[in-house]
Amino acid sequence: MEGNIEALSGALALIGYGLGAIGPGIGIGIVAGNAITAMARQPEMQGTIRTTMFLGIAFTEALALIGFVLFFIA
Amino acid sequence: MILAAECDVANEVICVPENVSDLFEFPTIFTIGQFEISRTEILMFLAAFIVVAILYFGLRQQRLVPTKFGASVEGLLGFVRDDVGRDVIGSESRKYLPYLTAMFFFLLVGNLFEVTPLINFPITSRMAIPFFLALVTYFIFMIVGFSKNKFRFLIDTAWPKTVPVGLRPLVGLIELVSVFFLRPLTLAVRLFANMMAGHLMLTLLLGSAVIFLAAIPEIGARGLIGLPWLAFGMFIFLFEIVVSVLQAYIFTLLTAVYIESSIHFEH
Repeated sequence: MEGNIEALSGALALIGYGLGAIGPGIGIGIVAGNAITAMARQPEMQGTIRTTMFLGIAFTEALALIGFVLFFIA
Repeated sequence: MILAAECDVANEVICVPENVSDLFEFPTIFTIGQFEISRTEILMFLAAFIVVAILYFGLRQQRLVPTKFGASVEGLLGFVRDDVGRDVIGSESRKYLPYLTAMFFFLLVGNLFEVTPLINFPITSRMAIPFFLALVTYFIFMIVGFSKNKFRFLIDTAWPKTVPVGLRPLVGLIELVSVFFLRPLTLAVRLFANMMAGHLMLTLLLGSAVIFLAAIPEIGARGLIGLPWLAFGMFIFLFEIVVSVLQAYIFTLLTAVYIESSIHFEH
């Protein structure tokens, strides 16, 4: 029984991380895609857009990374 | 090699250590009083020393035509001053520039230790270091926020005036938790998790590659499993260089953003 639970918790953590990565994946895609559109429209604003894009990615990414850490802790 | 002793090359496909923390915890080398000095602490001092050395030798003489090394150091300093400090914080950025510069260079060197031959260990993959740096950032933007805005900083965060009255308790609670609790946490976890993931992947892939290829005399053609691991590991190696620089930049950028949000609190 103990061993089964042990084995299950690893698998559950893996599934949980997989689920947790969906949202940030979509989010980073939206952020990067819109940043590319904006850069193509206004190449002279490239620097500002890139900074803002990294900021957006950093905020979006946090959830996935917390999931990743939980996967190792579990 | 940490993995070599416990890898069953005849049956496994990839070498995985028994316990993840084996890759991140080093035995104590010597003790000073109560402080146990291991490889991580030595690397920490080495990183600080390298930063001081880079800045000293890069900026020792002001030349009309700087040397290549001097020009690159000046370029990096200008990047922190203009792209991080001036663009984000604005006119008051000069005051915070020493902190941002020190942070950026220390993290850059510390992160690049991950891909430095013979060191191969990012010091920022131990939670203590990113968390301490995030706490310093936390105290700076708290002190700036409270000294510039007095207690409006706390009250307006918990009771935002720009939001419709019905939503204020909800938004205020979210803002309160986010500003006072989650900011330093996510700042630290972002850097830590990125560097830990990178170190883990590099160690597993390249370690497996070395062990399998070295075992070819014993297990024959089966050892060729190491080749795809080697190829994938080399690709991740290049990727990790980008990640190291990017994470140092993002940590500095977010520090600047948090300080800016404390200075110009109104919006």
